[in-house]
Amino acid sequence: MFPIYKKELQSFFYTPFAYAIAALFMLLFSLSFSTGIARLEGSNTWNFSFAEIFYSVILYFIFLLPILTMRTFADERKNGTEVLLMTSPISVAKIVLAKFLANITVYIFMLLGTSIFPIITAVKGQVVVSQLICAYIGIFFWGAMYIALGMLISSFTESSIIAAIIGEVVMFVLLFVDDFSNTAFISQYPKVQSVLYSFAAQPRFAYFSEGFIRLSDLVFFASAIIVLLIWTYISIEKRRWNRG
Amino acid sequence: MITIENLTKYYGSNRAVNSISFTINDNEILGFLGPNGAGKSTTMNMIAGYLPMTDGTVNIYGADITKEPLKAKKNIGYLPEIPPVYPDMKVKEYLSFCAGLKKVPVGERTKEIARVSELLKIKDVEGKLIRNLSKGYKQRVGFAQALLGNPKFLILDEPTVGLDPNQVAEVRAIIKDLKKDHSVIFSSHILSEVSAVCDRVIIINKGDIRAIDTIENLEKSFTASQVLHLKVKGVRDKASSVIQLVRGVKSISSAEDEGNDITAFTVQLEGDADSIRDAIMAECVGNGLSILEIYTDKPNLENVFIELINRPAKSGMEQLLEEMEENTSGGENEDEEAPSEEENEEKEEE
Repeated sequence: MFPIYKKELQSFFYTPFAYAIAALFMLLFSLSFSTGIARLEGSNTWNFSFAEIFYSVILYFIFLLPILTMRTFADERKNGTEVLLMTSPISVAKIVLAKFLANITVYIFMLLGTSIFPIITAVKGQVVVSQLICAYIGIFFWGAMYIALGMLISSFTESSIIAAIIGEVVMFVLLFVDDFSNTAFISQYPKVQSVLYSFAAQPRFAYFSEGFIRLSDLVFFASAIIVLLIWTYISIEKRRWNRG
Repeated sequence: MITIENLTKYYGSNRAVNSISFTINDNEILGFLGPNGAGKSTTMNMIAGYLPMTDGTVNIYGADITKEPLKAKKNIGYLPEIPPVYPDMKVKEYLSFCAGLKKVPVGERTKEIARVSELLKIKDVEGKLIRNLSKGYKQRVGFAQALLGNPKFLILDEPTVGLDPNQVAEVRAIIKDLKKDHSVIFSSHILSEVSAVCDRVIIINKGDIRAIDTIENLEKSFTASQVLHLKVKGVRDKASSVIQLVRGVKSISSAEDEGNDITAFTVQLEGDADSIRDAIMAECVGNGLSILEIYTDKPNLENVFIELINRPAKSGMEQLLEEMEENTSGGENEDEEAPSEEENEEKEEE
């Protein structure tokens, strides 16, 4: 498993790929940060919090994470290297897991970069550390779920560009699924509404950003990740059977 | 030993490989010969455990590829048709990654990588990005990958495609050398290659095995009708009647006058060619005719190949019966829904 993990990381860090994504992410984060600070001036009512920034960051994730995950399986297929992995003495489950962990590592690298902003804030002002940590945990799980989703979509296609575009669409829909479930039309059907609402990650993240770590939220994200990874595994196996 | 039994593959309702069985002995090079689209790559992909088979078993040194894939795959080195290389990696990085994949112990990796790079002469490009390599080098890097970890069984799908004649000769020599401690199955549609390298040959067409045998036997089995070419100096009619009278001569199919009393005969023989040839020579010399040239046509693998490929595998009736048997034997194949379609197709073909 380790060789694949290492190879994936190399493909991110030996190329400008991971750095470009991380830099873009930092730029977007810093924009939210500076607008947040600017709004503080001359106003006592506006409450500046990192949780607020994280909300806008989620929106950027939708564009960045599919780019991170798009190549995961699509490129293996395009290069014909899938054969190499499949005929090596390593199970498909381990291949999926290794690739997931590599993506997560890059993601953590991106998140670590953003820690510079709370540090700046702490130097000049005050940071509620416990709340910040909770918000980071929340955003980590949310992103991890999107990475698992992006990998699944990458396993569907041979073209990484298509994987990225479909990934963005699906993540966008998932982000707004709670707004959608609150529309007047859906509200007429409370059962449909509750089903849709249970797919929404945003309200769950809200608890993290307020400083709550609830077991149910952790279970939600963990189970979503596990289901998506298993689905990825099945998708790869299924494709071998259907090949032709 | 590698045993393949009743290996079958359907793509949808399309039968790519039809219940083929064979074994590969230890230290043997088995050639897999067939025209494009004969099912060579599909079969190799199934043996390597990449494609699942519709039916049948593949047993590699006692491990079934579907039941104990990890154990079976440890003994396999596979070079697919398109070398499975990452364009963004350097050759050395790639080989070290593959060594890890194949579970070569960490301490031996450097030595192992050096060994295969030496063998395939890719040492001078080990620092280059694979993207920038020529096709021949990519092919050799892919080949090196298959040899990492010294697997007992090598599957090579057209290993010499894209190489220049010099490299082809080198790779053939390597394959021949591998025989010492490997079993090799090696596909190609180049006949000279197969006859130069392989101990035994499987000829396959449209998913059916047409022949499995050594090259000599295959050639022999197609020597039933033999042709002798003969140039004689002397009176033409006398020469032809002398030849005609020799026992074993079936007929004289042509006699061309070449001037100066020289005639070129083409003679059809029946029976042991060597003794008939000797008899003809003795008769001619005895009758005062001098022989300028004499040789028999050796049917080569090329002719055998063409004949086998074009020969229908089974009669239409046999095929129909088999189809019916398959249909009654229950729903083992996933494509049972469309037997009628297939039958129709076959009827059309006939």
